[in-house]
Amino acid sequence: MKLLIADDEPAVRALVHATLEGDDYVILEAGDGVEALEVSRNERPSLVLLDIMMPRLDGLEVCRQLKADPDTSEIVIVMLTAQAQDRDRDRGLAAGADDYFTKPFSPLALLDMVEQLRAHSTQTSA
Amino acid sequence: MRRLRVQLTVLLALLGLLVIAWGATIFLGARNTALSHASLQSTIDRLDQLRRRAAELEAKAGDVEFCQREYLLTGDPAALRCYQQRRKEAADLLVSVHALAAPWALLPPAADRVADAYGAWGTAVQQELDDRAASGARMRWTPTSTSRSRHWFATLRTRQADLDDLIGGLQHATSLSQGSTYRDVQRLALVTACMVLAAVTLLTIYLRRAVGAPAVALRQASGRLAGGDLHTPIDLPVENELGAVAGDLETMRWHLAGRMVRLQRLRDLSAQVVGAPSLQALCEVALAGIAPEVGAERAALGVVAGNRQLQLRAVAGFEHPDDAFERLVKAEDEIRAALPLATLRRGRVIHVTDAALESLSGPVQDLLADLGSGTGTGAVALVPLKSQGGFLGLLGLFWSRPHRLDQEQETLLGLAGNQLAGALAALLRYEEAERAAGEARAVFYGIADGVVLTDPDGRVSALNRAMEALSGWTEDAARGLPHAEVLRVTDGGGALIPDEDRPHARAIASGAPVSDQGYDVNLVTRYGREVPVAVSSAPVLDHLGQVVGGVDVVRDVSREREIDEVKTALISTVSHELRTPLTLIHGFAELLVLRDLPVERQRAAAEEVLGAARRLARLIDDLLSVSRMESGRLVLERHPLDLGALVEQTVSPFQAMASRHTLRTRITPGLPEIRGDGDRLAQILTNLIGNAIKYSPEGGEVLVAVSHDLSQVQVDVHDAGIGMSAHELGQLFEKFYRADRDEVRRSGGTGLGLYISKRLVEMHGGRIWAESTLGRGSVFSFTLPIRGDGDDA
Repeated sequence: MKLLIADDEPAVRALVHATLEGDDYVILEAGDGVEALEVSRNERPSLVLLDIMMPRLDGLEVCRQLKADPDTSEIVIVMLTAQAQDRDRDRGLAAGADDYFTKPFSPLALLDMVEQLRAHSTQTSA
Repeated sequence: MRRLRVQLTVLLALLGLLVIAWGATIFLGARNTALSHASLQSTIDRLDQLRRRAAELEAKAGDVEFCQREYLLTGDPAALRCYQQRRKEAADLLVSVHALAAPWALLPPAADRVADAYGAWGTAVQQELDDRAASGARMRWTPTSTSRSRHWFATLRTRQADLDDLIGGLQHATSLSQGSTYRDVQRLALVTACMVLAAVTLLTIYLRRAVGAPAVALRQASGRLAGGDLHTPIDLPVENELGAVAGDLETMRWHLAGRMVRLQRLRDLSAQVVGAPSLQALCEVALAGIAPEVGAERAALGVVAGNRQLQLRAVAGFEHPDDAFERLVKAEDEIRAALPLATLRRGRVIHVTDAALESLSGPVQDLLADLGSGTGTGAVALVPLKSQGGFLGLLGLFWSRPHRLDQEQETLLGLAGNQLAGALAALLRYEEAERAAGEARAVFYGIADGVVLTDPDGRVSALNRAMEALSGWTEDAARGLPHAEVLRVTDGGGALIPDEDRPHARAIASGAPVSDQGYDVNLVTRYGREVPVAVSSAPVLDHLGQVVGGVDVVRDVSREREIDEVKTALISTVSHELRTPLTLIHGFAELLVLRDLPVERQRAAAEEVLGAARRLARLIDDLLSVSRMESGRLVLERHPLDLGALVEQTVSPFQAMASRHTLRTRITPGLPEIRGDGDRLAQILTNLIGNAIKYSPEGGEVLVAVSHDLSQVQVDVHDAGIGMSAHELGQLFEKFYRADRDEVRRSGGTGLGLYISKRLVEMHGGRIWAESTLGRGSVFSFTLPIRGDGDDA
């Protein structure tokens, strides 16, 4: 399963790496919004973990564009952000995000979520 | 003074006597006339009778003669009998005539003579007859006796005629005397009537002079008095009761005129005190008005102050007023204790005479003795000033000589006190109003918020200093302009808010204060600039609750809004910056605890935790540094140090972290030692280098150059990053400033680094600045003095 982690903070990307490593995941990385958009379009990951506050293009905009494009609208988008207020959550969901994780997050919960998603996608594809 | 009564009594008595005399005269005259008329009538009647009897007698004598002659001639016995008969009747008549003639003295002799003649004639006739009888019938007559009888008959006739004449004369005289009686009575009546008339005339003249004219004069005088003319003296030169009445009236007029003059003075006093502009003027005017009436030379005005205590406010008539005022004020407590305030509150004028003065307490007595500049104080009067039932104060009057107020002066002082109290009340109200107005003015002009006052027509009537500064309008320029022109406000979107939606219009319409705080409202200044403001408006109400204007309070909230924005940004930044390391610590720690990681990955995870913990610590340090710097608690620990070595030490950890960047240092040789706080200088360098890496996301070279001249060392940090606009450069070193650009927003940072750096450089006595071109990179530079004589604190 291919997934993308977009975060301007390399340590956060490393954390996601460390969490999902060893479970047949292909983990792609992006350091800003523009890069995230490019990688998503080129690689078509099943899941994008999107930070909101990123240089060049913010996560919400990335989400909106991905969901607006029929080619990429199937991608599951999970916002992963330090913006923890309800208002931010609503804005994220309004932009088309499928789920919302606030920092700090539990890596195991993230793993659970990704595993479920993989099981689900395996079922649908089978 | 009973003269008039006596005179009148006498005159009336005289007049009465005259009238009585007149009546008596008329009565007596009438009676006399009546009486004399009766006697005369009877005299006339008797004379008449006498005359008829005499005439009958004469006729009878003729008859006797005739009958005798007949007999003589005829011898007829019948004739004889006739003769005899007639003779007898004649004798009776004669007796009757005699009897009738008796009352008059003149008549009896004449009657006697007639009787004598009759007797002689009778005898002669008888003789003739006897002769006849003797001679027989042949002879008819005898010559002797006949001639005799004839003689006597003639005599008789003559004498009868005399008697008749006498009677006629008497009759005439009687009728004459009757006429004279009438004339006498008429004359007497006329004379007394004239006398009565004269007396009445005299009485009238007298009454006119003694009573009438003075009465008219009195009536005129009393009329003048009643008409209010108190100036014309009443002078009646009559020495009787009326004169006395006039004298009394004059006395009355004099008193009234005096009272009127005093009333007039009181009125003048009232007019003057009403116009008095101050308590001092009131005191002086009061003394000037009262002094002519009662003779007091000095006055002091005490007023009940806000704390309900009587306080001296003004003095007048003193040679050294300031000195007197001071002395009186110093002794105020003793004076208050000595004053009979309860009586004064009841409105009674109190007169302190010589004897009472001596019973006063020592200090007050000494003060009073001294007040008159050596002449002492002989008497004091205390006039309470009461208005509408309230005790407002006290006017003290001082005499240098002993003086005793009479009843009238006391009344006058009471009245004057009333007049003064009215003026005093007005003055106190005015003072209070002035004070309140002064307070309001001070508040209005001194308040830090802009305030605009408008009149009922919505035109600006006043503008305070803060509003002038805020709006760019001067009070003079704005006065009279429509309110909406001076106070133009726009909403958050920049559109002018229509008049009817402004707080001002809503406050006027509702009659209650309206506040717009919390909305995005901008004030458009006179020159078009927009300033964020909070506007509160309130209607100005008069005592009836009618709207007579409006007041707008305009607060410049640009600072608040800025702070608000900064606060929001800070919270957002801090929360983001805190959450990121926390996420790492939490995440890696969880992995370490819950997952079986290979050893080398465990180590990497632990290093991540450590790095994140350091980052957290740095952020907290930054926040604490700012807090300590701002509260003045940050103290530099300065030591001699080698800046070149410090730069190298600081750069090296970055070289490992920044893989995309090339970090280089260029340190000129022979760098002098400086004095500084190594930790703080490292903090500055870390910050600048960190920024250079952070804001050059594309990588590139970061050069840290250290150079020096004679007085200072300069450090420059070059990068080839995103750069900054001139506007951003201007605000760069402000606290929490973060350029409003995505690149900056998306990159982490507290907005505190440069602020802290600037403060630290300045504490070292140096200077920090930046040069930059947007898109090309920036150079941040700071200097430090070599001699280390900067601020040690």
